Amino acid sequence: MPRAGRIALALTALTAAVLLPQVAGPFWTGLVTQMYIFGLLALSVDLLLGHAGLFSLCHASFFAMAAYTTAILQVRYAVPTALAAPAGVLAGTLLALVLGLAVRTRGVYFILITIAFGYVVWGVAHRWSSFTGGDNGVTNVPFPAVGAWRVESHTEYYYLVLAVVLLCALGYRILVASPFGLALRGIKASETRMRSLGFACGLHLYAAFVVSGALASLAGVLYVYYNRFVNPVAASFPVSVEAALMAIIGGTGTIVGPFIGSWIMLGLRNWVSSFFALYASVMGLVFIAVVLWAPDGLVGLAGRLRARAQKAGAG
Amino acid sequence: MSAVLPAIEVGDLTKEFDGLRAVDRVSLAVAAGERRVLIGPNGAGKTTLFHCITGTLRPSAGRVALFGQDVTRLPEHRRTALGMGRTFQISNVFAELSLLENLVLAILGTDRRKWAPHAPVGAFEAVCRRAREGLGAVGLAHRAEQAARLLSYGERRQLELALALNSNPRVLFLDEPCAGLSPSERQRISRMIGALPRAITVVMIEHDMDVALGLADRVTVLHRGRVILEGTPAEVQANPEVRDVYFGHV
Repeated sequence: MPRAGRIALALTALTAAVLLPQVAGPFWTGLVTQMYIFGLLALSVDLLLGHAGLFSLCHASFFAMAAYTTAILQVRYAVPTALAAPAGVLAGTLLALVLGLAVRTRGVYFILITIAFGYVVWGVAHRWSSFTGGDNGVTNVPFPAVGAWRVESHTEYYYLVLAVVLLCALGYRILVASPFGLALRGIKASETRMRSLGFACGLHLYAAFVVSGALASLAGVLYVYYNRFVNPVAASFPVSVEAALMAIIGGTGTIVGPFIGSWIMLGLRNWVSSFFALYASVMGLVFIAVVLWAPDGLVGLAGRLRARAQKAGAG
Repeated sequence: MSAVLPAIEVGDLTKEFDGLRAVDRVSLAVAAGERRVLIGPNGAGKTTLFHCITGTLRPSAGRVALFGQDVTRLPEHRRTALGMGRTFQISNVFAELSLLENLVLAILGTDRRKWAPHAPVGAFEAVCRRAREGLGAVGLAHRAEQAARLLSYGERRQLELALALNSNPRVLFLDEPCAGLSPSERQRISRMIGALPRAITVVMIEHDMDVALGLADRVTVLHRGRVILEGTPAEVQANPEVRDVYFGHV
């Protein structure tokens, strides 16, 4: 797409995002807030999946670790947001420093070990009832407030999430275009060659894993302030899987892809579940259709259709 | 000091795979600036020996030293940082990345800026300029923006060589750089290797006798994992045992 067209599209999307709470009701505002938050989670998964070639299935762990930390600090210890929110991101990132040991493995073994890690964290959230609240989790999380400034409504919170997610997307864009990001794609393409060129591939992947975990943690903090409670479902395996599916459906290795994926997953779930009990099966069919007919995700599909239209136009 | 130390010194190096000795107590020393060619029939252990020297494989026993420094226990990327560069027998380039990105990675591999997360690659102008020059040196400058998967087989070999050359090697290991190339491409690559400055020591595996003997200062002949002869190209050509193992019984 030409540069002017891309800028026009971005501005239109931004305008729509800013106006949305004014024209749509609270239901849509809430749904789109969730789309941003889970889009950010999918984006964090895609740093590993789309750039480094590592398929992680434990990102719900960082998401939940951050959400629980912030919730417990806020609710039980009355710690203010200015400390509780950074503490949540820090806790999730520390967990990523530990689970990052998974980068000692590759391929199927990496997937399996991240699944195992994910179950360990879920088990703690589920069974350590005295601390995590068990199945009930932690409830009554207040809206964030920093000093005199406080979020009073879901509409205000929507704008906060939008701002944070936009900043993250910008930072992410710089990161993946940097030498660090290029090195990740090099490792994905040929690790043996990267080693012979002098790259410490394990260390590079470990760093990417921790950055990815930090992003997922940030999504977790945003989630807990939106949701106002957190329970073991946040740490569960399906959350990790869905984050990866969002990235794949939207298009891996891109920035808008994971967000498009989260819109489709959450949008479809809300819509289909209102009239069809087996909505999970519908999601499965959508995923199969994408893998079969749009293996590069919807962003890749759009690119292919555009190329075909151009060819037809030229011929 | 480094004038008297060999660039590469291999002592009693052995590599076993499930009881099979691919490399059997090989010792050799390559002087700084020398062009050394390894020859030997298929399965002689040449590539395995290369893998052990550059760190792709761990030797079962023996030592490897680079300019007098013992590197036997160092991982591959540390050896590259110390000055080992290599090409692969089967082209190992970054197929999905552009040629320019391929070269940028080669340059950054031994550069601390490979960790830089804060600015796009294009902002590192000196690196990009060197990458373009590196592509120009192998005649691929006009395709800098294309993905490496679009290259022909011969062009991939050229890119392969460019990657190794731009990783700043003091000792360059070339594993059959001319394998599978047409005669004209062969000439082009061997001219490029011949034109390398003597500051770079070259160790090369080559099957093509003309290329090998034209470039080599000394030749090492491997057979069944062992060194059976080392000498000048003339000595090697004249040796009846070499004729026997290399060209077979006629």
